[in-house]
Amino acid sequence: MLQYFDPGKSGLNPDIDYGTPPSSSETLVSVSIDGTDISVPEGTSVLRAAALAGITIPKLCASDNLEAFGSCRMCAVEIEGRRGYPASCTTPVAEGMAVTTQNGKLAKLRRNIMELYISDHPLDCLTCPANGNCELQDVAGAVGLREVRYGFEGENHLDAEVDDSNPYFSFDPSKCIVCSRCVRACEEVQGTFALTIEGRGFESKVSAGQSEPFMDSECVSCGACVQACPTSTLMEKSVIDAGQPEHSVVTTCAYCGVGCSFKAEMKGDQLVRMVPYKGGDANHGHSCVKGRFAFGYATHKDRIREPMIRDSINEPWRTVSWDEAIGFAAKRLKDTQAKYGRESIGGITSSRCTNEETYLVQKLIRAAFGNNNTDTCARVCHSPTGFGLKTTIGESAGTQTFDSVMKADTIVVIGANPTDAHPVFGSQMRRRLRQGAKLIVIDPRRIDLLKTPHGSEGIHLPLRPGTNVAMVNALAHVIVTEGLEDKAFIESRCEPDQYRAWRDFIVEERNSPEAMEAVTGVPAELVRKAARIYGEARNGAIYYGLGVTEHSQGSTMVMGIANLAMATGNLGREGVGVNPLRGQNNVQGSCDMGSFPHELPGYQHVGDPNVRERFEGDWGVSIDPEPGLRIPNMFDAAIAGTFKAMYVQGEDIAQSDPNTQHVEAALTSLDCLIVQDIFLNETAKYAHVLLPGSTFLEKNGTFTNAERRINRVRKVMAPVAGMEDWEVTMALSNALGYPMHYQHPSEIMDEIARLTPTFTGVSYDKLDRLGSIQWPCNEEHPDGTPTMHVLDFPIGRGKFAVTEYVASEEKTNRKFPLLLTTGRILSQYNVGAQTRRTENSRWHEEDVLEIHPSDAELRGIHDGDWLGISSRVGRTVLRAKVSDRMLPGVVYTTFHHPGSGANVITTDSSDWATNCPEYKVTAVQVEKVTQPSEWQRHFQQFDQRQQELLTPAEAGTETSDATAIK
Amino acid sequence: MSDQQLQNLIKMINQISINNLHHGDEDKAADVVATHIRKFWARSMKQQIIDYAESDGIELSAVSRLAVKRLAEPQEA
Repeated sequence: MLQYFDPGKSGLNPDIDYGTPPSSSETLVSVSIDGTDISVPEGTSVLRAAALAGITIPKLCASDNLEAFGSCRMCAVEIEGRRGYPASCTTPVAEGMAVTTQNGKLAKLRRNIMELYISDHPLDCLTCPANGNCELQDVAGAVGLREVRYGFEGENHLDAEVDDSNPYFSFDPSKCIVCSRCVRACEEVQGTFALTIEGRGFESKVSAGQSEPFMDSECVSCGACVQACPTSTLMEKSVIDAGQPEHSVVTTCAYCGVGCSFKAEMKGDQLVRMVPYKGGDANHGHSCVKGRFAFGYATHKDRIREPMIRDSINEPWRTVSWDEAIGFAAKRLKDTQAKYGRESIGGITSSRCTNEETYLVQKLIRAAFGNNNTDTCARVCHSPTGFGLKTTIGESAGTQTFDSVMKADTIVVIGANPTDAHPVFGSQMRRRLRQGAKLIVIDPRRIDLLKTPHGSEGIHLPLRPGTNVAMVNALAHVIVTEGLEDKAFIESRCEPDQYRAWRDFIVEERNSPEAMEAVTGVPAELVRKAARIYGEARNGAIYYGLGVTEHSQGSTMVMGIANLAMATGNLGREGVGVNPLRGQNNVQGSCDMGSFPHELPGYQHVGDPNVRERFEGDWGVSIDPEPGLRIPNMFDAAIAGTFKAMYVQGEDIAQSDPNTQHVEAALTSLDCLIVQDIFLNETAKYAHVLLPGSTFLEKNGTFTNAERRINRVRKVMAPVAGMEDWEVTMALSNALGYPMHYQHPSEIMDEIARLTPTFTGVSYDKLDRLGSIQWPCNEEHPDGTPTMHVLDFPIGRGKFAVTEYVASEEKTNRKFPLLLTTGRILSQYNVGAQTRRTENSRWHEEDVLEIHPSDAELRGIHDGDWLGISSRVGRTVLRAKVSDRMLPGVVYTTFHHPGSGANVITTDSSDWATNCPEYKVTAVQVEKVTQPSEWQRHFQQFDQRQQELLTPAEAGTETSDATAIK
Repeated sequence: MSDQQLQNLIKMINQISINNLHHGDEDKAADVVATHIRKFWARSMKQQIIDYAESDGIELSAVSRLAVKRLAEPQEA
């Protein structure tokens, strides 16, 4: 007998649709299907049981990512002893059940149903975009439909109008069979509820919003409906244009920290479409508008296709061979060190590049540059997470899998906006909220998660920006003083001295919600209520984002969150934990790979002689025992004239870092700036060497997502300039006289595994075998560690930290009476270099300033007005959007467009422990204006000049020496 | 060294100090601050703040001053 214990994934083929979702029951039930005996978990549908036994029952409305619906009747079967022909999708198995899936009667029944469907369906299969990949066509073939006796002249929907409003997919209702898969995908998978079936009977039709075009509805263009559609009703425009793909490669999305797995569906080396991969453990076959659709940037005309050099930033770029560019860069670096000393150069690793590439850049800096001046963009996002979590629970990473949220009873979201910034995980959270989990949101803005359709009512603590620590202390105060602590956990898992010190501190009256109300602006009773809900939850899980870290007390807040989880015993099992939501695709990985100036890969401090000895042995050089400069320190040193050259791989510090004018001054002070990127980004405009980067589609490697999951990135097309990013770093290292000879990124991973205790069991072979691995992966955990800290912490016992609230120095006053906070939007990604070069811009063409109606009224501001926003460091102009998502006194914008200059206004104020900038709190004034700011006018001129300097170079000859230099 | 660079270092160390000062225990706070700086600051930054403390140091908070004094002492192995 076939035995299936199903809800896991082992043994299941992600390319097969099993018809209905798995049952999580542990009781097995034995059934016989067409004479094949199989035992499956109780609650499994007959359709799924048959699929597990390798028996295909025709189906149209069923899909294993949707609850059974039973509308198409195609999956009818006969069950011994039961009357009629029940739909196998809605019929659960029962002990001893004998099922027949094929016989004459069933064949006739299915053919009749199909005949009805086809009587109202165009017969244009040969010219239909779904031709070759159409479930309706397949099922028609399977049931042997040969004629349609009704004819095609009757009333029908064949002339229904196509909705082409969405840039990525078309909706052709003439081909719709009203199976509701799209509607259910929008509800169950995505959680947006943008689609409905409108009308009844023959009038039934799929409708977006209130019978609106898709673009005007609340549709977020995640594409779940397109994927669910069994016909070509909802179809990718890229497939309509190119035809069906002929092969596919499983790879990992290069957008946010969720790290969705995709099948890149190809035609030769042309990417036709990205289809989220059901076998991906982070996304289980779901995706968002960025990952699924916004890949056109990879072949955009703006791509840098050749290496270029110039002596000064006022000169035109010269296209040169790889050899010449690398030689030029190496000579400049060496000359700089000869003149200004070993510590006068440094580099920045990329949180968008692969682990292997990041590892190589920091190795280049430590081994070939001979100093520790390496940093990464995590400095400006999650460095406080590294510091705070390492200090308290011993590891600089989130504690759970994403799936863990499905066991959480209370979900606390602090300073994060998952439905925009981590959409696929946001959808999973919403699924859990629809199942009844409670939600607490701590955020100055009313985020969309609070408006989850059919979710339970959430508690929103709309605190003033910059008062997180006051809030977390107040919550902890309630937990401790109201006896909600998990004493057993604290006693067995935490350091007693530190716990006592923390407890004495937290019970002080000044930390009570009543005392903190004046600081946070949130009513004490609401804070008490939230604390009780978290404290009393069987499983309470905390998720947080940059609204926690990007503050002057970012690190303190991270420790405060860890305190809260330890005090309530919400660590070490599924459904709980402390979970940083990472911004970029490989922020976790870039931190893991030793990008920070003070630590080698695996968070091993450079000051530790034992650690250094291992790396020195492997690398054959001596490593500086002192930490190097962080990004802001590099800028300061550049302006001071002691830091003169920089290698930047795949980051755009000129746009993403705070106080743009300060960054520009620093970059202008450099004698040599080497930028490796796919586009002429803002930083590259200040560069002397421009090395073409490769997109995630053009290289092999791995990314590590927010749940520590190492996913493979697989090359599907050749790099535009012939070199993958790791090969460029390697060439530079060789030119500097430090030899590197890797043939493939897998060899780099082998080296990482050799030197990093949490990676010892990781290899490409194992990744191919398991699909993905969550580190730590070593002898103790050969298949990885989904849930951390189950028995103990890497530092033994957990360490409570005293988290004194210290107000930010960035305060409002009469001159700057408002607080600006910054964030992200669904359709755009980070600095927008990729998404701005796709149709995603249709959703967000410019950054706007959201302002509360009362602040707007006071200043006579209306929607669409030009607003001048000034802070202590700069001034920019944006269009107004009046919105009550923020509190009065708080304004909000995004930083996806360089010309917006959001970071011209943000200041140097930063986290005390890590120098992570305080993007979330800037005191500003806002007023109506009529023209762009001075900075913006300068930006436009400079941008235009730099584009001109690039143009003659682009006409240059093609580089052909990539193979030679490798 | 530029004035701005020094100003930033002073601001940074004072910020570390105030975030680790608990119930006025300056001695203990100075230990934490010194350890933090040893662990996270680059060699040049440490030297700059030591030089400043020895030459002027007026803008350093009491805890910062104590911490820098500890930094300047040779570390026990």
